[in-house]
Amino acid sequence: MAMTDPILSESAAKVRLRRQGEVLRSLMTNPTTALGMIIIILLLGMAIFAPYLMPPNIPDPYQMPRDWGATRMPPGTPGHPLGTTNQGGDVLYGVVWGSRSSLQMSLIVVSVTVVIGVVIGSIAGIVGGWIDEALMRVVDIFLSIPELIFALAVAAILGPSFTNIILSLCIVFWVKYARIMRAQIILIRQSDYVQAARVMGDSRFNIFRRDILPNASTPIAVQATLDMGNIVLVGATLSFIGLSESGIAEWGVLVSEGQAGIASGRWWASTFPGLMIFLWALAFNLVGDGLRDALDPRTEGKR
Amino acid sequence: MQLRDYIVRRLMILPVLIFGVSIVVFALTRIGGSPIGVYLSHEMNADEVAALEERFHLNEPLVVQYWYWLKGALSGDFGYSGVASAPVSEVFWPKFAATMELSVFSAIVAVWLGLWLGVFAGTRRNRWQDHLTRVVAVSGASLPLFWFGIVLLIVFWANLGWFPVGRSTADLWASIPHPTGFYTLDAILAGNVQAFLDALWHLFLPSITLGFGAVAIITRMMRSALVEELQQDYVDAARAKGLPERLVLKRHARRNALVPTITVIGLTIAFLMQGAIAAEIIYRWPGLGRWMADAVVRGDQATIMTYVLFTSVLFLFANLIVDIIYAKLDPRVRLGD
Amino acid sequence: MTAHDMPKAPVIAEVRDLRVQFDSKRGNVHAVDGVGFQIRDGEMLGLVGETGCGKSVTGRAFLNLIPRPPAKIAGGRVLFRPRGGAPCPDCAGEGCEACGRTGTETVDLLTLPPKPMRAIRGARIAMIFQDPGKALNPTLTIGAQLAEVFLQHRSEALLAEAGVSPEETGWQANALRRMAREEDRWLDRRLKGLPPLSSAAAKLDAALDAHVAAALAETQIPNPARVMRAYPHELSGGMRQRVMIAQALACDPDLIIADEPTTALDVTIQARILDLIKTLQRKRRTSVLYISHDLSLVRRVCDRVAVMYAGRIAEIGTVAQVFADPRHPYTQGLIAAVPRAGTGRGHLASIPGSVPELVDPPPGCRFADRCAHVMAECTRANPVAREVAPGHQSVCFLEKTGQTAAPATSEASTT
Repeated sequence: MAMTDPILSESAAKVRLRRQGEVLRSLMTNPTTALGMIIIILLLGMAIFAPYLMPPNIPDPYQMPRDWGATRMPPGTPGHPLGTTNQGGDVLYGVVWGSRSSLQMSLIVVSVTVVIGVVIGSIAGIVGGWIDEALMRVVDIFLSIPELIFALAVAAILGPSFTNIILSLCIVFWVKYARIMRAQIILIRQSDYVQAARVMGDSRFNIFRRDILPNASTPIAVQATLDMGNIVLVGATLSFIGLSESGIAEWGVLVSEGQAGIASGRWWASTFPGLMIFLWALAFNLVGDGLRDALDPRTEGKR
Repeated sequence: MQLRDYIVRRLMILPVLIFGVSIVVFALTRIGGSPIGVYLSHEMNADEVAALEERFHLNEPLVVQYWYWLKGALSGDFGYSGVASAPVSEVFWPKFAATMELSVFSAIVAVWLGLWLGVFAGTRRNRWQDHLTRVVAVSGASLPLFWFGIVLLIVFWANLGWFPVGRSTADLWASIPHPTGFYTLDAILAGNVQAFLDALWHLFLPSITLGFGAVAIITRMMRSALVEELQQDYVDAARAKGLPERLVLKRHARRNALVPTITVIGLTIAFLMQGAIAAEIIYRWPGLGRWMADAVVRGDQATIMTYVLFTSVLFLFANLIVDIIYAKLDPRVRLGD
Repeated sequence: MTAHDMPKAPVIAEVRDLRVQFDSKRGNVHAVDGVGFQIRDGEMLGLVGETGCGKSVTGRAFLNLIPRPPAKIAGGRVLFRPRGGAPCPDCAGEGCEACGRTGTETVDLLTLPPKPMRAIRGARIAMIFQDPGKALNPTLTIGAQLAEVFLQHRSEALLAEAGVSPEETGWQANALRRMAREEDRWLDRRLKGLPPLSSAAAKLDAALDAHVAAALAETQIPNPARVMRAYPHELSGGMRQRVMIAQALACDPDLIIADEPTTALDVTIQARILDLIKTLQRKRRTSVLYISHDLSLVRRVCDRVAVMYAGRIAEIGTVAQVFADPRHPYTQGLIAAVPRAGTGRGHLASIPGSVPELVDPPPGCRFADRCAHVMAECTRANPVAREVAPGHQSVCFLEKTGQTAAPATSEASTT
C-alpha cells in the first residue's frame, strides 16, 4: 500500500488538469460565451484606456464636464457624437468614464466580498460547533432581506455617495460566498480522497490548501463572474434611485438625470448609459452561465 | 418527518428570523444617525432638541431604544414618515395596495411567459430555439429594469403616445369609491367599465417592465427542470408505453418540472419587490417602492425600517409557503436538514 | 447460416449490423458497432456484457428510444415481424428478401414513422426497465400509469365495455371516444362529472380499473385495488418491479425487452422477480430479450445467449453450447469470473484490464488488449463470426486457424 500515496495525489491533480482543459475548450466553442468574452474585453479596454479615449475632465475626471454652450444637443452633433445632457455634459464622456466607475465598483466589491465570504465560510465549515451555528444564523438573517433592498437601506443610512454604494454592496454581497465555501468544505471533507489524505496523516492545513481550496474555487469563480455583472446592475440601480452624488460620470446617475428630458424627446441622455449597464451585465452573465455549464458535469452528453 | 411537524418547525424559526432582521435594521438606522432628523429645523434651540430626544428616548441605551421601537411596532406604531407627512401605519395600506396590484399583474406576465418559454426551450434543447431563448432569458436578467422602463416610456409614451404614466386618470379615479385600494377591483366593484379599462391601460407598461426581469428567472428554472425531467427513465418508460409525445410532455415531464420551478416563486417575489422601486419611480406609481425611494434619499428612517422589515417578512413567508407546497407536491422530498 | 440450424420457430425480430455512435466532447463514441442477432418467437435470448458495452443501447433500439441527438444511428436495421402480421406487401406472402423469406410483413423499427411506432410500443414490444423506482413517474398513482397503456392500445375494447358501439355518433359518444383515446379536451374534462356524460364516463372508468386490476393481479400483486391508488414511493422495490412487469405485459406483447430487470432489487427479491418473468414468459410464449451483466441469471432463465463486448457480439449460441464450450476468450473469462459454490475466498478469477475507450477506435479485435491469446492479426482487422457448431458462433481469429483456446483462467486469475 506504500505506492498508493503518489498515485492518489497525481491522479487527482491530473484529473483536475484535464478537467480544466475541457472547461476551457467548451468555453471557447460556446458561441454565446464567446460573445460575452468579446464584450467583456471591449468594455475592459474602454475602462483601461478611458484617459486616451476621452481626455479627462480637470480636476476630477469622474465629474461630468459641463459645456454650457452646448446643452441638450442630439447625437451626431460635432464634438458630441452621442449628444449632450441638460447641463451640457457629453454623453460619450459619461459612457466611457462610466465604464471606469463600474470596473472600480465591481472589482472592489467582488474582491472584498470573496475574501470576507471565504474567511467566514471557512471558519464556519472548519471550526464547526456553536461558531458555525451562530455564523449561519447571521447568514440566514442576511438572506432574509432581498439584496437590493438591503443594500439600499445600508447605503441610505451611510448617506448618498458613490463610495457608500460600494461600501453597502460589500456589506450585502459576501453572504453567498460564505455559504458556498462552507458547503464545499463539508462536502469535500466527506469525500473519499480527503478521507484518504487524512488517513495518510496529512495536516489539516495541507488538506485545506491542496484539496478544499481548489475545489471550492470553481463554484466561487462562477459566482464571482456572475456578481461582476450583478453588482454593476444593483449599484447602478442605487445610483438611479439617487444615492450617488449628482453630476458624476456613472451610468446609473446618467440614466436618472437623463429621465427629465424624455418627455421633450431627448432620448439619448438616458438610453446610451443604460445600454452600457445592460451590455456589462449581459457579458458577465453570459460568461458566468457558460462557465457554470462547462463546470457542471451533468451537462455532458449522456449514454 | 411529517409534513405537519415540518411546518410547525418552520413556523417556529420564522419569528426568530424576523426578530434578527429587525435587530439588523434597527442597528443600521441607529448607527446612521438620529431618527428625529425629520422633526429638526434650524429654528430649534438646544432645549427643544433635547425635549425631542427625550420624547424619542434617545438619551437611553440602544437596547432600551430597541425595546421602545419593538413595543410600538407590535402595537402597530411604526413611527412617523417624514416623506409622507403622516404616521407610517396610516399611509401604508393604500401604497401597499398599489404595489401589490402592479406586482400581481407583473407576476401574471412573468409566470405565463416564463413557463411557456421554459417549455419551448427545454423541449428544443441545444437547438437554435434553445440558444435564442437562453439569450433572451440572460438578457432579461441583465436588463437594468429602470432603463428598460425608460426605453419603453421613450417609445410608447413620449413618441407614440399609446400608454400613459401614473396609476390612473385623475377624474376617473375620483369618480369611484376605493374600498380595496386595488384600482382594477374598485372599478369592478363600482361597475365602471371605463375606469377598469383605464386601470388596465395604466398597468400595461409598468407590469411589462417589472415582469420581464422575472420572466428570466422562471424561464431558466423551467427550462433546466424540464431538461432534467426529460432525461429521467420514466419519460422513456412513458414513450415505451406508446404515449404520443404530446402526452409524454404534458402529463409526465412538464407536470413534474413544475414542482422544482415552484421554488423560484420566492425569488420572483423578491425580484418584484426590488424591481417595484425603480418601476414606481419611472411610472410615477404611488406605491411602497416610490415611498421607499423618497425615504432613502431624504433619510426617513421610520419608513426605511418599516419597508425593509415588511419586505423581509413577505419574502420569508413566501419561501415558507413555497417549501410547504413543494413538500406537498413531491412526496419524495426529504423534510430533514 | 446453414440449412440444418434453421429453427422451428419463426424469427420474430432481427438486428442486422446495428451501429450506434454518440457525439461526445472527445470524439465519436462507437457504442454499438455492427451488432447482429435474431430473436425467435417464444424464446428468451440473453444479452450479456459489462456495463457500457452497448447492450442497453441495443435493447432500446427495438423501441426506437435511443436519444438522438446525442446518439446517431450510423447503420443497420432492427427488423420486427409481429405475430399474426399481414402478408409482406413486397411479395404478397411469397417470401422475398425484405421479409426474410417468411412472407409476413416486416418493419424496420429504426425507420418506422412515429405513428405506427407508437402503435407497436407497449402493445407489440414492451420494455421492463432496470430501476422501477426511476421508471415509474413519482407524481402519478400506479393506477394512472398503468391505465395509460390501455388507453393507448385498448380504447376500442374499453368503449365496448362502456357500452359505446362503433357506429354510435353524437357528441356524447364522441366525447367518450376522446376520453378512451386520451384525446380529451378541456371541455370534456369539465363535462365528465355532469349528468348526461357522467354515467357513461363512470362505466368507462370502471372498465379501465378492471383492466388495470387484472394486469396487476397477473403479476401476483396482493390487493391490486390498494396498489392502484398508491404512489410509486409507497411500494417496495419488488412491488414496483411487479408493477413494471404488469405494465409491460398489459397488452400481451410479442416481444419484451427486459433491461437488467433485477439489478436494482434486493438480492432476496431478485430470484422471485426472475421466476415471475420466466413463468409469465412460458405461459404466454412471449419472446424476451433479457439484458444482463450477470451470466448466472442468464444461464438460469434463457434459451440462448449472446455475449457482447465493447459494442460488438463476441459469441452467440444456446445456453448449453456457450456454457459447456465457451469459445471466445472473453466468454471464457466471464464464465471463470462467475463465483461458484466451492470457490475458495480470494480465488475469484477476473479478466485483467478494463473495457477500452470507444472513441474513434482503430480496426481490430476490441478484446485484443486483454486477451491471453492475442495474435498479430487481432490488431490488424476485425474478426468475423465463425460457426463452431450449429447455431453457435464465435467472433474470434482463433476459430479461423482451427485452434481452440484453452480456458484462460489460470493466467487471468493471477492478478
